[in-house]
Amino acid sequence: MDNFVMYLIVMVYFLALAFLGYLGYKKTNDSKDFLIGGGEMNPIVMALSYGATFISASAIVGFGGVAATFGMGIQWLMFLNMFVGVVVAFIIFGRPTRRLGVKLKSSTFAQFLGSFYNSDKIRVFVAAVIFIFMPLYAAAVLRGGVFCMQEVFGIDFDLALLVFTIIVASYVIAGGMKGVMYTDALQAVIMFVCMAFILFGVYKALGMGFSEANQALEAMKDKVPEKLAAVGHQGWTAMPRWGSQQWYTLVTSFIMGVGIGCLAQPQLVVRFLTVSSTKKLNQGVVVGCVFLLVTVGVIYHVGALSNLYFFQNDGKISVAMVEATDKIIPYFIDRVMPSWFVTIFMLCILSASMSTLSAQFHTMAAAAGADIYGVFAGNDEAKRNKTTLMIRLGVLVSILISFIICFVLGEKSDSPIIAISTSLFMGICASSFLPAYFCALYWKKVTKQGAYASMWVGVVVTILLLLFIHAKEATALGVCKSLFGTDVLITDGMMRFIDPIMFAFPLSCITIVVVSLMTKNKAVDAK
Amino acid sequence: MFGISDPGIWLVYLLSILCVAGSIVFGIKYWNKEDDKDNQD
Repeated sequence: MDNFVMYLIVMVYFLALAFLGYLGYKKTNDSKDFLIGGGEMNPIVMALSYGATFISASAIVGFGGVAATFGMGIQWLMFLNMFVGVVVAFIIFGRPTRRLGVKLKSSTFAQFLGSFYNSDKIRVFVAAVIFIFMPLYAAAVLRGGVFCMQEVFGIDFDLALLVFTIIVASYVIAGGMKGVMYTDALQAVIMFVCMAFILFGVYKALGMGFSEANQALEAMKDKVPEKLAAVGHQGWTAMPRWGSQQWYTLVTSFIMGVGIGCLAQPQLVVRFLTVSSTKKLNQGVVVGCVFLLVTVGVIYHVGALSNLYFFQNDGKISVAMVEATDKIIPYFIDRVMPSWFVTIFMLCILSASMSTLSAQFHTMAAAAGADIYGVFAGNDEAKRNKTTLMIRLGVLVSILISFIICFVLGEKSDSPIIAISTSLFMGICASSFLPAYFCALYWKKVTKQGAYASMWVGVVVTILLLLFIHAKEATALGVCKSLFGTDVLITDGMMRFIDPIMFAFPLSCITIVVVSLMTKNKAVDAK
Repeated sequence: MFGISDPGIWLVYLLSILCVAGSIVFGIKYWNKEDDKDNQD
């Protein structure tokens, strides 16, 4: 594609974002507008925003690469994204959350839990966990977007980081939740159209239909490298061998970890508070499901099929063509799709990064400005009037922290802290927030002591398991090695490959039940 | 099914299709239906 046309497309995209950010700014008058879009957002915009926030660049490029390596088993993640992340989340969690949120006058996730349990301690704890652990996770997403911007404009890392941060910061600070959701909706449409094109392009390149391509890929199972076969790989159209290392990684980390972790992500939960009725959440279910099927489902499917394409054309499988998992999808798109589409695909990745990042910045800002400052301000009217300003300042601070982390890590650093922070945040959301959140909606005997104890258990157990048991993070961090002279404390069996969420989440659930029953005479404390 | 012999894989494709079909039916059925619980509080 001509460079001029490419720059023109990207500029039009940025102008559209600026316009939508401005639209959000014009419609934002108070802190309720800034935090939950006044609670009057369009259901289709809400569902698209939910989907776009859900799907980051790493879901497309990273997990697409995982599909190319592990095969179609990763489609269980797509199914859980749809079934748990949309159907269960909207119907089982979203509807009571919205009703209770209105009753409790909540505008953030921390405020929701804090108000329900009638505890500022819980509100500050949730906000602090978000504000401490989310910047690292946001830095990971920011880095993905910056790499994409480098590819499009051919500029250096520091400049791309600065430009990318300023663009996202301006529409989050100015437009608040409305600006974030309007831009998310545009980005979701770009992602959806792009993935539909990719599906069409890949089948055209393969020259065969759905079942025929699957059969051809299945016939390639003897091409699985010995190294992968030894850890359980049985072909790209088969699940890994039951109980193998690869099975545990795929099922506990990728499928259960991310699949369950999504239910208590503060940046997703808060979207339920942005619509005015249950009817609008019901309307969002269909939009969310179709969006996830097309975006995530397509990229995982074509990720696995990339092996067939490369084998047909180069005589090699994907991991032999491109060693780095994260680079398989961009390389595959470059090979299969027309040259003009590569810019569009980059725009899609940029959209995925921006939509996730803007929601993260907004959530961190809400935690700092509305929750921590809100508790500090108490009933002081003068201080309360400054809430919107403090939230905007919170956006600035959270952006600055993520920017500094990303800048310090730099372009060439392959620091494991990014991957670790993502696992940590997902794990903590599921283990620390989910039991207290679910019980707030459905268990009348829950007490604030039970909720508070389960939150601490979730955080502490997740951190301990990441430091001393789960091989991927424990080895990278080296704390266990320096204290005990070994990478992980338990080396026998598959324990070191099982995601921390599988232990921390049940322990947190047991804690909330046991402590709540022990303190049942104080149940009146929870509303 | 779908050219795939492992039930662990074709099942997930089948469930995904059913999930989307179910969400469409749910969406159509409740598109304009108010929830009584919304007015209770």
